[in-house]
Amino acid sequence: MEAAAPVVVVDAAGTTEVEGEESEVFSPSDVEYISYGGEHHLPLIMGLVDQELSEPYSIFTYRYFVYLWPNLTFLAFHRGRCVGTVVSKIGEHRNTFRGYIAMLVVIKPYRGRGIATELVTRSIRVMMESGCEEVALEAEVTNKGALALYGRLGFIRAKRLYRYYLNGVDAFRLKLLFPQWHHSPTTNKDGVHLHDNQYGETQIVP
Amino acid sequence: MASRLVQGQEGETGGRLADPPISYPIIPAGEQTVWADVSPLIASACNDLQDGQLIHGENFSLFAAMSALEIMDPKMDAGVEKCGYYSIEEAIENNVAPVPLSLNPTLDVQRVIDVIDHLFSCEATWYKGHTLAQTVFSCIYLLRIERTSSHALLHSYCRIMRATCNAVISVVSDSRTHEEEDLFTMAYGLPLKGEGDEKCLSILNSVEETISRQLRACKAQSLKKKQLEDIEPLQSNPDLEEGYCRALLCRLRFRKHYYLVLTSMKKPQGKGLELARKHVASCLSELTHITKSQEFLRALSYGFHQDDIQSSTTASGCRPIGFDASLNNRFSAPTPPRATHILSWKEAVSYFQKLLSDLDFVCSLNTDLVLDDVFCFIVQFQKPQPDLVARAHLQILLIQDGKLYGKEFFHDIISRELGLPELTKGKEHQKNEFIVQLGQLIINLLKILCANTAWQRRKLGKILQDWSVLSLQLEIAFKREIGETLNVMVDENMSTKVSKHLLRWTEERTYWIASRFLMLGFELELYSPYDYCMVYWFMYLVFMKLLEKIQLQTAANNENSQRKGKKKKDHGKDQIRDASFSSSTLLIHCYICLSEGLAMILAALRNESKAFHMVGPFNGEEERFIQHFDLLLKAHVPEHATYYLFKESTGHARISSIIKDNCFREAQKIITSLRGSYAGNSDKLIELQQLEQVAERNRVALSVIDQIGARDPSLTVSFEFTHHPHFAIAVIKRS
Repeated sequence: MEAAAPVVVVDAAGTTEVEGEESEVFSPSDVEYISYGGEHHLPLIMGLVDQELSEPYSIFTYRYFVYLWPNLTFLAFHRGRCVGTVVSKIGEHRNTFRGYIAMLVVIKPYRGRGIATELVTRSIRVMMESGCEEVALEAEVTNKGALALYGRLGFIRAKRLYRYYLNGVDAFRLKLLFPQWHHSPTTNKDGVHLHDNQYGETQIVP
Repeated sequence: MASRLVQGQEGETGGRLADPPISYPIIPAGEQTVWADVSPLIASACNDLQDGQLIHGENFSLFAAMSALEIMDPKMDAGVEKCGYYSIEEAIENNVAPVPLSLNPTLDVQRVIDVIDHLFSCEATWYKGHTLAQTVFSCIYLLRIERTSSHALLHSYCRIMRATCNAVISVVSDSRTHEEEDLFTMAYGLPLKGEGDEKCLSILNSVEETISRQLRACKAQSLKKKQLEDIEPLQSNPDLEEGYCRALLCRLRFRKHYYLVLTSMKKPQGKGLELARKHVASCLSELTHITKSQEFLRALSYGFHQDDIQSSTTASGCRPIGFDASLNNRFSAPTPPRATHILSWKEAVSYFQKLLSDLDFVCSLNTDLVLDDVFCFIVQFQKPQPDLVARAHLQILLIQDGKLYGKEFFHDIISRELGLPELTKGKEHQKNEFIVQLGQLIINLLKILCANTAWQRRKLGKILQDWSVLSLQLEIAFKREIGETLNVMVDENMSTKVSKHLLRWTEERTYWIASRFLMLGFELELYSPYDYCMVYWFMYLVFMKLLEKIQLQTAANNENSQRKGKKKKDHGKDQIRDASFSSSTLLIHCYICLSEGLAMILAALRNESKAFHMVGPFNGEEERFIQHFDLLLKAHVPEHATYYLFKESTGHARISSIIKDNCFREAQKIITSLRGSYAGNSDKLIELQQLEQVAERNRVALSVIDQIGARDPSLTVSFEFTHHPHFAIAVIKRS
């Protein structure tokens, strides 16, 4: 089990549901995306997550992620105001080098405009560049927005976790597998080219 | 904190400066110690810290620190809430749970009924997955049962409630289903053990008897008949006597019969199942009376009504006295710091009706079933999604002391059912080992099949490896035997037959597991429409293999009976077995047609109109294929099921060619022929009906798509699971 930090996606990015008068009018190009820069960002992140979540997080939870993997946390700003954040980590999990998305929040007036998708995409890109084989996270089965967002990015629903949350709601474990790049061609003693496919089976390359 | 302490000291015990009106005990300095003010030191240390720096002990770990609870944070600290009483005693002192519940006998009876009803709602809430401490044991009468001893009715009810909770907890604990049953069974700090609880039934019976006599007396009085006995009425209002008596009687009787269901089902080797079914029927009948009593109870106006009558936890709609959900937060079993939403009384009644129906199904288990039919039984049982309590009961019934129904060891069952001759030591030793291993795998499989479907699917995927390995070992052993038997002797020939039979059975079961794994994915909503094509394709492969194994098995059986020259009386049993083989073969054949048809429609739509085709920014279809079928691929179930093969098989699919192939029509033919074999079996007939709908609607949809043309931009096709949980129906919309 990963760190007990369930993902919250509070952004129905790309769907047609945009809250009525609560929406903020802005152009997506006005949104600035910044990598975690230090302690001064921490209260912004905590503020956003505390505001939107009922799950209790101590300050150490935040510090765990942003101290150890600052390059995986991104903040979205609009006119100096922090409107969204993603917090992630990378680690070894059962012989797999894996990224994990812990928290994702976009405040209500800014939802439905692709900010969450952009935040997640940036985090995943860093994971991919760092050599991760896959990315994982959990989301409530009722969180249609999150499931749509991650589905569009190529995540599958790998497992269903029965009554994962304290309120009795099930969760999906979502996973994204990066294209395997361990097709390292080698030649056997007869000079025949060999090739290992993704199941570890050795095949002859014609 | 430190500075405040120190302000009150001048190096002497007890010396205090004036000023802070807060009084709290000063920790005195010892003989060798002295208090020193370190506030300036701490202040300057703080100033010296840079942003982001942290002072910590050597063994500090950020990962471990995540589990830290912040004291006095209401989200984490369950005891910080100011509301509620600090102890059970304080609540009792404040008359939260008076005994009797009222000095007015009528009000007393009404309040007892409210307590009974609220306990019922709490019980259903607990079964649904909340903690015992925040549900049933939020009742102060249960927390201090001794206090109720002067009140026969309340006392007897509390005793049987406690005994029932114990009975349910022990079944769930014993089954160890690897779910959240630790939350369910958590009773730390709760007074669950009671002396003399085995007598709770007789205590309840005597109370029931009294109220029955009171009911008879009041009916006699209303009919102006002479009363046979002089009995004190239940309460003081003669007009309400009959209503209250009836309302109480059905509640007591429900409780009694439910307890008897549990004790009957616990009888070893399934000996109490028939009796349990009778008690289930009684429970359901009493529930009807309980529901009817609501009209009477609701009409009486008294007490404090609950805000929303629909969500009321009692039949009367009034708030029950004697409960405090926050009491246990401070000293007993883990009680998450959030309010548990207690089910409404109406929801609780529905919950118990369903639970009883699920338990009844468990009790209908025929302990003479062959193993294959046991698997079918469990699958049927799981269809209405029974909860933990029902599932735990089935598991306990199936596996006791490592034996099926506590009667026979699995390796003996396997030997018997596969018609294996008695195995002797020596040469057969290895085969014995395989059979014992197989027995273990079967026990594990049965337990997994009794778990909730989410956990079940994960485990089914994992055990594929074990089953596949055993199949492989059996195959190797079998081939070695064939190689060794150069001189065919009768004994060795039989031995080879044994190995072949064992191998086929194991392989068949392995593919069955794979098919369950794939199909449960639909039930758990694990597949997106972009995945349907590959899933149906894989299902097609797995069903083909399953069919192959079953047909080999049937052929082997036929050969066996011919060789053995079976006596007449055995033919009957074989005929039944053959008939069931042939109908299960046909059913699999039907699944094959539907899987193939659906895979092809989806592939054709993708090929012709790019529908159901998705390429993400980070990966493509191949990665999703590998992920979905990872466990199957690793276990080689089946062999060579590669993404490459998938692309090859589906790359040229076109609507026009699918229509020619006629998969759905073939499915319909099979369904028609199956109706005869399934006559009298309502569950199977229901599924046939569903499959018929799937076949027909898809056949029609296919021809519509063909007419309109798959490339037509006005055409939208979606796939809905409106009839069968595993086979979708193509729904066409035109814009």
